[in-house]
Parts: sequence; structure tokens; C-alpha cells
Amino acid sequence: MSALSPHLLAEIKELPARYPQPRSAVMPALDLAQEELGYLNPEAMSEVAAALELDPGYVEGVATFYTLFHLAPTGKHHFYVCTNLSCTLRGADEIVEHLKKAIAVTGPDAVSAEGLFSYEEVECLGACEFAPMMRLDRRYYYDLTAEKIDDLIADRKGHLPARRGGRRAAPGGETQVPSVPVEAPHPSPPVRKSALRAPGERVAREGRDVPRKKKGA
Amino acid sequence: MPELRGSFGDAPNHLLTRWFGTPDLHRLGVYESKAGGYSALRKALLEMAPADITSEVKTSGLRGRGGAGFATGTKWSFINRDAPGPKYVVINADESEPGTSKDRYILENSPHLLVEGILIAAYAVGANQAWVYIRGEYDEPYRMLSEAIEEARAKGYLGPKPMGKDYPLDIRLYRGHGAYICGEETALLESLEGKRAQPRSRPPFPAVKGAWGRPTLLNNVETLATVPWIINNGGAAYAKFGTDKSPGTRLLSVSGNVRKPGVYEVELGQSFRHVIMELAGGVTEGRSLKVFWPGGSSAPVLPASMLDTKTDMEALAAARSMGGSGGVIVMDDSHCIVRAAHRLLKFYAHESCGKCTPCRVGGDWAVRTYDRILANEGSQTELDTLQRVSDGLQNGRCLCGLGDSAGWVIDSTLRHFREEYEDHALRHECNVGGPPAASGRHLPRDRDEAASA
Repeated sequence: MSALSPHLLAEIKELPARYPQPRSAVMPALDLAQEELGYLNPEAMSEVAAALELDPGYVEGVATFYTLFHLAPTGKHHFYVCTNLSCTLRGADEIVEHLKKAIAVTGPDAVSAEGLFSYEEVECLGACEFAPMMRLDRRYYYDLTAEKIDDLIADRKGHLPARRGGRRAAPGGETQVPSVPVEAPHPSPPVRKSALRAPGERVAREGRDVPRKKKGA
Repeated sequence: MPELRGSFGDAPNHLLTRWFGTPDLHRLGVYESKAGGYSALRKALLEMAPADITSEVKTSGLRGRGGAGFATGTKWSFINRDAPGPKYVVINADESEPGTSKDRYILENSPHLLVEGILIAAYAVGANQAWVYIRGEYDEPYRMLSEAIEEARAKGYLGPKPMGKDYPLDIRLYRGHGAYICGEETALLESLEGKRAQPRSRPPFPAVKGAWGRPTLLNNVETLATVPWIINNGGAAYAKFGTDKSPGTRLLSVSGNVRKPGVYEVELGQSFRHVIMELAGGVTEGRSLKVFWPGGSSAPVLPASMLDTKTDMEALAAARSMGGSGGVIVMDDSHCIVRAAHRLLKFYAHESCGKCTPCRVGGDWAVRTYDRILANEGSQTELDTLQRVSDGLQNGRCLCGLGDSAGWVIDSTLRHFREEYEDHALRHECNVGGPPAASGRHLPRDRDEAASA
């Protein structure tokens, strides 16, 4: 019983040819695995390693180094809230406190009911003129307020955001372009829709035996 | 159209941002017809010899905008153009220095400006392939840059014969996955090669042995986005801007407690008073400036009394700081410097790759010391420990600058705000912005700590 689909593993095997040296394919391959599974468990990492003809320990070493690889399931909508200095000076900590209450989780390891939401505090996301800000569903949201957070949560739950001032508030306020699925252009294909998963669906939340990453320790 | 907070439009010092704000500037057609785009690439490929391009960049005096400020033309000349085998240009788009958003500003407003700069650089140093290492969280910039590359490919500006020139050029993208250390050039190369991003020892330098063991030119996004202007107008024209040793303009991302945060293009040599008080509209209403980080969180802090410091690298060095990444973080007098330093040390401790002992151990040690001080358990011992850890982190004891940066945060905040540290460590009080409970504007205590208390 394999963690990743045969179709995906076949796709991973084609990645190394795109790089001057095959090892560079490891992160794009882990991306594909995470996209299909929702997170990376030891089985998935072993299967990626086998497909790339690398040592499983090596692949796990890479996966545990980078914060965008999740070693435990996250919510379907995962909030990456910046709490570095520029955002903290403009109220990021209050945003986090509000978010925790709004999605009813105790901390960054927790996933809300029905697996819908989770969050983590992240380091600077490089949009400091819009602080406080965050990333959600592959998009940045700016000038965060408690109200914007509530609207986004309502939107993701399938409710219409509340009306304000006579017109419907755009979820998250003034972000740039409408959310466009990030297609995988040539040549690195890290982001794609899984053929095996309905949009947004994630696998059941189990296998939480993988410890969360602790870097630099 | 992305919302613009910062410089755009016509102004004498808008070399990079002149056309920002033009509707659909990210489309090749608009970039060409409105902004005169790709004329520099045409000139470079069809009218100039590679050595002349490098020489023009040398004349401009342009210095790297990623943080170190190394002379760009000199860096280009380190690549042996005639050496056999593949050579690469690698673009550092892993912008992650706290307080820095200028590369995103370029990528979202004018991705073709970067594409054009990359192609010119690749041709100049004899590379046929360029790799843009772009941070994984930059979904929108990634999409826009991908589209720009495909537009340029469709138009025949890159590919087997760019603009008819028999010199194949290609640009590829590689996404980062969340690691500050990848902004360091050799860590970036390790990551590009599919490894844990731990810096390499130098020599060999990337110019000799870089990506996949081949000669590699590494430049920052802003640096290469400046190149088309230099080719169009000449290096001498560029050198007329700025100061003798720091010529030109650069983008400063101003964030924190200012009324108009934004990415502003500034002629080097202008003062931070101009940047913070005029361009960014001054400090939050009813508050006054306490301190600012002039070049990202890694640049040693400057107190309000040094607001007239100039933005060029020499002036900043004389003020015992640096230009760094151009991220200007402004903090007003309602915030506590000890808590701010604590927050930054947590960042450096988290982002340490663990390869060098001073950085791996020092960061966590400093965080624990700050924890004790902020829990009102401090004494002279803690202050001495901070100074000792800070000294141990600095002065090239590590393979890259991450450890030094952590040390500078401690050292510079201690140097300029000794009394505030002593209030916390020796007197167990915080005297910032009125009573803490009433102001409500302190950097909150660490939540874990608050929860367990």
C-alpha cells in the first residue's frame, strides 16, 4: 500500500531530467507529494526517495530543513501569519490571538474541527509595506484586521462575508489580482492539482506521529 | 494591477520605478511600447561585445543590492567567459530579510525588467542558462515572472536565437521552500542543488565553482533590474546619481511605525530623515521616532538622534551600521527595544542552519537570556551574558553572516539603549511609552511564556 499514487510517482521520475543534475529534483518532487497528500509522512518521503534513486534519510533531511514542507497534516486552509518585527509593530500579535480564537485552535500544531483550518506564525514574508499581512491559499492578504480575518474564515466556510457600508467587503481587503491557480509553467512543476483529489480535499488526519520540525537544534 | 505603495512615475531619481504604475506594465507589449523595454537587450546583443557590457556596468559603479554591496561589474568580470563547459547566472529572488520587500515590488510591477537584466548579464558573462531562485511564498511574483518569461520566449527574446543573435539564452525558475539562509549565496546554491541549505566555505567562490560545480554569477533581483537602464543610458550617466562610492539609486522598503509605509526609490546619499519623515510621511501620529534599522533587521540599529545619517554605504559604515538589503524598519517611542531585540533574536535562532557552532548555540543562548530578562529574572549576569554571546557571534566566526547579524542586533541595541536594558535586567521594570498596562502598545510578551505563567 503506497502513500503516493502511481501516476504521481511516474511524474516524479521524470523530474530529474529537467535539471543539470538530478538531485535538484528533490524539492519539486516533495512539492508534488505534499500537494497530493497534504503533508509529508515517512512513507511518502521514502517513496519520493525511491523514485529519485536517493537515500530515504537524505530526502527526509531535505524535507525537515525547509519550513514550507509540512510533516504533519494541516488544515485545508492554512494561515501563514507573519509575526516578524515590521508586522508585530503594526499589531500582528493581536491578529494571531484573534485568529486562534476564530478558528478555535489552541496553537500552531492544532487543526480545527473538520480539518478546515490551521495556522502558523512565520518569519518575514516580504510584503512589509502592507503589514500586518499573511499568506493563505497561495495568496497574500494585507492590512489585516480582526474583521478581515472573520470575513476570510466565513468565506472559506462557504458563508458570504458580512455586508458592510452598503457593499460586500472583499475577503481580505485590497490584495492584488484575483486568486489564480498557480499553474506549473516550465520547467519546475511544483504546484498542481492532484488528479486523485477533489479540489481542496485532504486526506484524513492521521499519522501524526511525525514530530514537528525544529530547526537549528 | 498590484496596489502600489511606494515610488512610481516620473521623477529625476526614478531610474527603476519610472514606469511602475503603468497599466499592464507586466505584459511584454506594454513594457516595450510604453517603457521602451528590451531596447537594452537589443543593444547589448546586437551592438555590444560582452566585454563592453561588463565594462559599462563597471563604469556605472553599481553595487550589489542584495546586502553586501559588492561591485557588480567586478563580480561579472570574475567569470571566465572563455572557459569551456556550461556557466550559469543565478538570480537571488529569495528575498527574506526582515523588513525588505523591494524585490517583490519589482517582480509584481515589472517582471520584464528583471528578465531583460538577466538576459543581458547572461550574455555578458558567457552563460546560456539562468536560474531564478524565488522564495516559495512568492506565489504571485512567481506566476508573473513565469508569464513574462513565456511571453519573452514566444517573442523570440530568449531561446535558441534571441533577437536573431546566434547565442542561446534560457531562464528557468526554482522555488525555495522557506529558509532565510537561502538568501546567502552559497546556501542558495546548495538548495538549488537539492540539498539542505547550509553555506559553503569559500574559496572556491561561486565565480569559479558555483551551481552544479560550474562557474556561476549570482546577483540580486534589484541589481539585475538596474542593468537595462545602465545599458540604455551608459554607465557614466548612472554614476552621476548618488555618491562617488555608492552611485545610483536604490529601493528602500520602509515599514513599521510610519504613516506611509512603502518601497521608495532613493538617490544614494539622501538622508534617512528624508526617507522616513518625507517619503514615508513621518512617524505614527502622536508618537516620535525611537530607533530605525537602516538596512534590514541585520543592520545595526540607529537611534533617532542619527536620523540625519545618509543612505550611502560609506555613511552607514561610519555610523557603525550598513546599507544591507535596504529594509528600513521604523519603531516609535511606544515600543520597547528589549522586546524588539528578543523578537529578532528568535528569528535568527530559528533560521540558523546549524552548521557553525557560534550561530547554532549563540542564537538560542541569547533568546534564553532575553527570556529571563523579560520575565524579570535578570541581573548584571544576564547583561554580561548578552554582551559575551554577541561578541562570540561576530567577527567572521561563522561561514556566513547570519551569526554576525544576530550579534549586531544585540550589540547595537545594547550600545544605544543601555539604560532600557538595565531597567529590565536590574530594576525589573519597563519605562517605555508610559505604564505598560496603560499604553497597550508594547510588543507583547512571548505568548508561550504568557500561557505558561
